[in-house]
Amino acid sequence: MAAEPKKIIIDTDPGIDDAMAILLALRSPEVEVIGLTTIYGNVYTTLATRNALHLLEVAGRTDIPVAEGSHVTLTKGTKLRIADFVHGADGLGNQNFDPPKGKPLEQSAAAFLVEQAKLHPGKVTVVALGPLTNIALAIELDPEFCKNIGQIVLLGGAFSVNGNVNPAAEANIFGDPDAADIVFTCGADILAVGINVTHQVVLTDAERDKLIQSNGKFAQYLCKILEVYFSYHHEAYSMRGVYLHDPTALLAAVNPSLLTYTEGAVRVQRTGITRGLTLLYNKQKSFGEVTEWTDKPTVKVAVTVDAPTVVKLLMERLMES
Amino acid sequence: MDGVLGSETESHVIMDGTVNIFHGERDGVLVGSAAKPEKLIIDTDPGIDDTMAILMAFQSPELEVLGLTTIFGNVFTEDATRNALLLCEIAGRPDVPVAEGSPEPLKGGIPRVADFIHGSDGLGNTFLSPPKAKKIDKSASEFLVDKVSEYPGEVSILALGPLTNLALAIKRDSSFASKVKRIVVLGGAFFALGNVNPAAEANIDGDPEAADLVFTSGANIAVVGINITTQVKFTDGDLLELRQSKGKYAKILSDMCKFYRDWHVKSDGVYGIFLHDPVSFVALVRPDLFTYKNGVVRVETQGICAGHTLMDQGLKRWNSSNPWSGYSPVAVAWTVNVDEVLNYIRQLLMK
Repeated sequence: MAAEPKKIIIDTDPGIDDAMAILLALRSPEVEVIGLTTIYGNVYTTLATRNALHLLEVAGRTDIPVAEGSHVTLTKGTKLRIADFVHGADGLGNQNFDPPKGKPLEQSAAAFLVEQAKLHPGKVTVVALGPLTNIALAIELDPEFCKNIGQIVLLGGAFSVNGNVNPAAEANIFGDPDAADIVFTCGADILAVGINVTHQVVLTDAERDKLIQSNGKFAQYLCKILEVYFSYHHEAYSMRGVYLHDPTALLAAVNPSLLTYTEGAVRVQRTGITRGLTLLYNKQKSFGEVTEWTDKPTVKVAVTVDAPTVVKLLMERLMES
Repeated sequence: MDGVLGSETESHVIMDGTVNIFHGERDGVLVGSAAKPEKLIIDTDPGIDDTMAILMAFQSPELEVLGLTTIFGNVFTEDATRNALLLCEIAGRPDVPVAEGSPEPLKGGIPRVADFIHGSDGLGNTFLSPPKAKKIDKSASEFLVDKVSEYPGEVSILALGPLTNLALAIKRDSSFASKVKRIVVLGGAFFALGNVNPAAEANIDGDPEAADLVFTSGANIAVVGINITTQVKFTDGDLLELRQSKGKYAKILSDMCKFYRDWHVKSDGVYGIFLHDPVSFVALVRPDLFTYKNGVVRVETQGICAGHTLMDQGLKRWNSSNPWSGYSPVAVAWTVNVDEVLNYIRQLLMK
């Protein structure tokens, strides 16, 4: 008997690598996608919702609900950092797809998250691929959310490495540091996958060529939108390939044994020049005084990843689609 | 003249920050090409490991110690001054000027001192008799500016405590950063846990504003963080060997180290001591025993990560400017030849 698939909600800002992760999830028998919630980041939230609906139509999965998330940060900030220079103005590689037919739920992302967690206590995994505003709002909405949610696998942070927005901060955490600090310290079962790990997982130009040559429907679709993402990586990092941030985080939820992790308290710097810095205290050293990390709940932070298997799984599943 | 040590013929090592020529060793004496001794000011908060580094400097004929400047950190500044004077006397160098530094960080307030690590006297509760000599009338920053102006391009600074005095010197004289030969800083935790809290190392935490000012000043700076210094330890065995050695300062150092060692057991589970300040001293005289990465370093001054040192490794081309943009890089110690550094420290301390 196969185990019952794990229920996942993907909180997402599609986004080219978000699109990869979503389509990959829909081809992963280990998980059942019970909803998408949307957030700003790679694009504004309105566009994220539109793209989420579009991707579900591409995949023929309009049965999956989309709940629109917050348009502003937790502190009602409206000056958002949008990474359209990475993903294209439309978030999907400047392809100007037709608008989707579907509509989002009336319910907000936070309300949807709270409801689903309550409906299936301990059974729902949230895969958070953008800034953590919706998750923090869910925690504010329902103090039981942290207990009800099975796990939060989040793509975010730069642990003991430079960030990707600036030397201190990774983009998702930088997007809403206040929300991130709330999520990291809320006591839920959290696995953080930072760019220290996702930078080890690269889809090369040669692998993209393989995707292009395959007959996989998802592979074909993704190759169209990937061009912009490849050019950005070439310019910013002088590399012939792209980082698989979101697919890696998604596969961490699908198969946790692809990663190793350490445990400790994580706090997020919310002010100053290092705003958005994620700092892990693995409790190996004791300090003379009480610190801001003392007595905070422990989370899991990914340390290593089986990169070849992540790339292999992604390729296989997209090419067979 | 202030504290001229030895003649040219007694000095053995060429020190220009990049080249060291060692022809061999005999009886613990390093034999190399003769050169003019390097002028050095040690900015310090003694401190047990400061004591080790200071005595090592006095044991090094290739250095001319122009003076000590004092700062809070391991103790309050006033006590640091007393200890610095005392150490000059112990080393038989009461002529070396000691200039007292700032009693407080740039932003003011009572500094946090690490008396639980170094004892209430800063010297492991050995409670030595007070020194006879007096501090000079100049403040530390005045002394730093004066010496660096007197010998432009010739004076190196070993900064073993919070960087307040150096920041004040930079503020006092806009040409200070370009006139100082180089500054070797013990401070920061690069991509590693701090030792005051997870974000911050003690020296930087002592005055984050000053540290940020110094790191972005454009001076020739090498910084040795605790990610490096905690790799170099004296074990209980090493401490016993020191005690039993014929080293000139073996007994006094061993006595001081007791308190320090017990704290390491409690705090880090280390049966021995970290050699923070001695390692930084070695980085000054033997930079070849380290590798470095160059990058802009900024210090967070706000929030829960105040005192955090963050270096841009330069791995990415940023698409817009950020707080690291436009500053001169500093050299951040990246790896250390642990065995060779330990040997060097052993040799000098047991001399």
